[in-house]
Amino acid sequence: MHDAGPFENVRTGLARAVEQEILQHLEALARDGSEAAIDLRGLPMSEADREELDGALGRGEVRATLSAMGESEVWETRFNGVWWVRHKGTDGQVIAEQVEITLLPEILKTDPADARAAAVRMREHIALRDPDRD
Amino acid sequence: MDDWVMEQGTVGEALARQGVSRRSLLKYGSYLATLMALPPTAGRAIAQSLAGAKRQSVIWLSFQECTGCIESLTRSFSPSVEEMIFNLISLDYQETLQAAAGEAAEKARLDAMAANKGKYVVVVDGSVSTRDGGIYSCAAGKTNLEVLKETAKDALAILSVGTCSSFGGIPHAHPNPTGAVPVSDIVTDKPVINVSGCPPVPEVIAGTVAYLVTFGKLPPLDRLGRPKPFFGDSIHDRCYRRPFYDKGLFAKSFDDEGARNGWCLYECGCKGPVTYNACATTKWNGGTSFPIQSGHGCLGCSEPNFWDMGGFYKTLPQPTHHHGRDIGAAAAVGAIAGAGTAVLARQRRQKAIEEEGKTK
Amino acid sequence: MTLLDFARGPAIEVAMVVFVFGVIWRLAWLLFLPHAQDRSKAKITGGALLSGTVGSFVRHMWPAKEYAARTLVHTVASYTFHIGLAVIVFGFGQHIQFIRSITGLHWGGLPTAVISAVSVITLAALLFMLLRRLTNPVLKVISTFTDYWSWFVTTLPVVTGLAAVSHLWIRYEDLLGIHILSVCLFLVSFPFGKLMHAFLVFVTRTQTGMFYSRRGAHV
Repeated sequence: MHDAGPFENVRTGLARAVEQEILQHLEALARDGSEAAIDLRGLPMSEADREELDGALGRGEVRATLSAMGESEVWETRFNGVWWVRHKGTDGQVIAEQVEITLLPEILKTDPADARAAAVRMREHIALRDPDRD
Repeated sequence: MDDWVMEQGTVGEALARQGVSRRSLLKYGSYLATLMALPPTAGRAIAQSLAGAKRQSVIWLSFQECTGCIESLTRSFSPSVEEMIFNLISLDYQETLQAAAGEAAEKARLDAMAANKGKYVVVVDGSVSTRDGGIYSCAAGKTNLEVLKETAKDALAILSVGTCSSFGGIPHAHPNPTGAVPVSDIVTDKPVINVSGCPPVPEVIAGTVAYLVTFGKLPPLDRLGRPKPFFGDSIHDRCYRRPFYDKGLFAKSFDDEGARNGWCLYECGCKGPVTYNACATTKWNGGTSFPIQSGHGCLGCSEPNFWDMGGFYKTLPQPTHHHGRDIGAAAAVGAIAGAGTAVLARQRRQKAIEEEGKTK
Repeated sequence: MTLLDFARGPAIEVAMVVFVFGVIWRLAWLLFLPHAQDRSKAKITGGALLSGTVGSFVRHMWPAKEYAARTLVHTVASYTFHIGLAVIVFGFGQHIQFIRSITGLHWGGLPTAVISAVSVITLAALLFMLLRRLTNPVLKVISTFTDYWSWFVTTLPVVTGLAAVSHLWIRYEDLLGIHILSVCLFLVSFPFGKLMHAFLVFVTRTQTGMFYSRRGAHV
């Protein structure tokens, strides 16, 4: 990482505002299941702001690491239904970061197209290993 | 791969062939959503749309340019992310990157034009020479002007990448010896998108192409033909030093107390308030920094005539054409004219006195 | 060429040339005009005459006791916008930048918030002056086009300047361009109308002060 500029160490107060927004979305999720997401990199938040928000939300029961086009970290905060999703490029730079208010972040689910491709691959794999099986 | 798995020629198919999962596409969608300031939930829609989208045929023409624009795109910091753009497009002609040379290269361009008539996108970097029939910049025996007209005729849209193709750029700067003009001066019957910058931010080039492929239409454009998602705000409006401007705290020179404190660079000639680009948010080299963060004012490189705006260190309120000689001459002429007017008044008075004397 | 390029380039250059030419022309004209000889016997001369003249000038900066109460609001409003304009023109960092590029002279500026506050007060005072001119029966009768024009070209730069600093309504480059053009209009109008009083006030008040002091009159 580069040296944090003067701005990155400043708390702008945005963390508190985002916390309020998350609460409203979480109440909506609890009420009728509606999902939402907040882009943490599109807002003029400093590193200090994101750390403050991370501290306020804390870490919950689930933690996952993905290896897809670089690493991604996903964890549920101590408030169930509030997930933190941090995407990194292959060089480790954060390319996107968001808080998702959902029962399960989309990126953790298997896409049906990937499942279909995997089915083909698995059939080929078994066929290659046990040629006489069919 | 079975046909039922994926449609041929789509981005999804191209990715699956490389063993790239839909999770990567979803991640890329989130990245693009952030980049384009779309709602974060749009990432999923972008990923779905991209998976089913046909790869866009692209013909890239390089005219009076320095190759900085293509360097910007291909040397960007997060290679895995930026490389995704090459999965969205089929780059059918690019002189610097293509393997083919000579007549085979030109044939690739003509083949792509014939195969995707009316559907291909032409990317241009560099301005177009028009003086003396455009002879100052030629390739393969043809002037840039001819090649542009020929290629643009059956194109879906034109993407001017860089300030040279968008606004004329440095070749267009005074005295403009080659008669350089922007692409939009030549191609007037097709949509032209200007992705300006010297060079443009790589994420902005990729993001604009991704927008075209994802949504199958042009992004909303500002009055200079630039995509609003990236050129909607001025550098100044998104600058982290903006609070210092509002407080009236300015660096007066590059080595004073204000400069060390990271105050606003307006008085050092920063063109941020009149420059529209994504530098202050996207930054450069994978989000590392941008000129103002490294202590230098914005040059305004994504604006027309940035080279001729009176100097990089001249502040915005300062006149660009000021010549003390003109003012001095005005003062001298004023003094002479004033004295002359007074002399005329004296003469009139004298005459009046004389006439009064006669009547007595 | 964009609006801002035009404003920063040829427009402001031509405006400054016209301004300097016009001001020097009028001052030189006045200076070289034939003066009627004062045949009165000088009651005071030298230092006494000088202090009498200066004293008269200073005393006329505020209305005489008899009129003070009646013209108080008008006087305060006039002072407010005159001082306000001076603070804006000479106290705002970006204006100092402008002056520096023309003359080479520069000094420290005031915070933007102070300038903005002063601008709002100045604007309020200017609006009051206009309303008064429009509603006061006597003023209304004696006002001519040049009075309203002088008010207009003085007020316009304050409004456009405030808008530019606050990034109001339209894009900054257009705001700044319009602001500079409004200043051009002011500069071009200045020598040829009542705005010239900014220079002539020193000539006329000094002349009057000297005229009466010489006769021993305390005005």
